[in-house]
Amino acid sequence: MDGRIELIDATKEYKHAGSPPVSALNCVNLSIRQGEFVGMVGLNASGKTTLARMLNGLILPSRGKVLVNGLDTADLAQKKEIRRLVGMVFQNPDNQIINPIVEEEVAFAAENLNLSPAEVRRRVDWALEVSGLADLRHHAPQMLSGGQKQRLAVAAVLVMQPSYLVLDEPTSMLDEDGRYELIKTLQDLNRQQRLSIIMISHRMEEVAPAERIIVLHQGTVYLDGPPAEVFRSPRFALAGLKPPPIARLTNSLLRQGHPIDDRIVTLEQMVEFLCR
Amino acid sequence: MREMITGQYIMGDSIIHCLDPRTKLIGCLVVIVVAVWPRQTITILLFNLAFIIIVIYFAEVGVGRVLRGLRSLKLIFLLTFICQVFLTRGDPLWSWGSIVITRQGIDLGINTFLRLLILFLSASLLTMTTSTLKISAGLESLLSPLKYLRFPVQQFAMIINIALRFIPTITEEAEHIVRAQKSRGAQFDSGSLSIRLRTVMALLIPLLAASLQRATDLAWAMESRCYTSDGQIYSRVYKLHFAQRDLIAMGVISIVLLLAIL
Ligand SMILES: Nc1ncnc2c1ncn2[C@@H]1O[C@H](COP(=O)(O)OP(=O)(O)OP(=O)(O)O)[C@@H](O)[C@H]1O
Ligand SMILES: [Mg+2]
Repeated sequence: MDGRIELIDATKEYKHAGSPPVSALNCVNLSIRQGEFVGMVGLNASGKTTLARMLNGLILPSRGKVLVNGLDTADLAQKKEIRRLVGMVFQNPDNQIINPIVEEEVAFAAENLNLSPAEVRRRVDWALEVSGLADLRHHAPQMLSGGQKQRLAVAAVLVMQPSYLVLDEPTSMLDEDGRYELIKTLQDLNRQQRLSIIMISHRMEEVAPAERIIVLHQGTVYLDGPPAEVFRSPRFALAGLKPPPIARLTNSLLRQGHPIDDRIVTLEQMVEFLCR
Repeated sequence: MREMITGQYIMGDSIIHCLDPRTKLIGCLVVIVVAVWPRQTITILLFNLAFIIIVIYFAEVGVGRVLRGLRSLKLIFLLTFICQVFLTRGDPLWSWGSIVITRQGIDLGINTFLRLLILFLSASLLTMTTSTLKISAGLESLLSPLKYLRFPVQQFAMIINIALRFIPTITEEAEHIVRAQKSRGAQFDSGSLSIRLRTVMALLIPLLAASLQRATDLAWAMESRCYTSDGQIYSRVYKLHFAQRDLIAMGVISIVLLLAIL
């Protein structure tokens, strides 16, 4: 099997001495193709972070399997290659920056891969370029805005030239501008580099532009499909979630019999439809 | 923007910034060893201080910025000075009841004061002109002979790098917590000892909790970026480069050392 991440009956139980095991994920079966833009949503404690960290082998399933391009995350010999293939960006930008200069931070992962200095430099330049940080390469990360810090975290992972990029609530600590810049960068990367994006978020407007939305509920995949279908499903509300305003608008227009494209879930799509 | 924290790296391209971190580490070490050497005379300490002041001038980081850090340490400086002055025995210069000030006391007081000042200035000068990655790369290179004794040099350098990297973040966090506690009526600089102790605990515990969270997050982030504690890194893009100016600087340091010893 090539070019996809597969979860096969992936189950995770957290066991701590002296307390009953917590079941975080229950028999999850999923397949994420290379090049897909996937949004992942769900209430607190639904298992999103656990699933995300399984994708690059930070967390191994208690039962079941996770395969990245056919490589088993439980196979220690493949650990480095799996980490390289699946880049991971975390929630808090301050807690994932290791180095004191932007360009050194971006070089870190490439150095860990023991690439030649010329190759490290080439990749650092490229990663800074595509994440729009080329002008800030000599700056100290502490002086960057939240949005720039998160794009730095993306660049720091891109130097590994991953096939998949997993982001766990990357925008939750950013302001409006920072969020917009980050999402824009991710969309460009997805389109231009064919990089798969798997993004967790609590904001439905952010995942609405994705090709596919996965809803987790109590450790299981509760819904999985194109945004418009997922938002319209009665199960979406049962999972405790609320569609974004534009999807709700489309729905009420449809119910009143207006001829409107039922796939419209984002503001851009609505504007485009109305202007046509 | 918030005020720069003393000792935090300040970007620049002064001659001191451009020196190889190994040169600066050795220079710093020499100055510190000379300063803490037992029975050092005040003349040599003053000479040492003058050397540092000259280096500060060349580093173009602004004397005011360097001195600002001293403000927070003034209590420590004052206390050590006072203790030395009042607690040293010798030829009395002045006395009032049982309090006696001796010549040796004043001597020792000034001596200790100068030593502390030199330690502070040389360390902050090093960190202000050298990014932490360069410091740790320099340390790694200087300690590399220890590899043959199975000493984990790279890991050690990484620990230093992370420690230095998180000092400003944790300081900032402490300020946040202090502000939050103050807004709830906590008093840091008044009240009885037990109240103050409790206030300090109310600062330390959340700070510790937050730092542990940071450490965990950081470990995940490093692991995700293929860092392994047992792996050797062969290609540092920041290659240490020992240039002619480093030779000159080493010469200057040696002369200072010689003069200090003689
Ligand atoms: N290290 C751990 N030890 C024990 N239990 C854990 C651990 N990490 C997560 N859990 C539990 O597993 C369940 C799923 O947690 P997870 O963090 O994956 O949820 P999440 O969907 O990411 O939630 P959030 O939206 O709050 O980030 C929760 O019940 C949580 O308490
Ligand atoms: Mg989570």
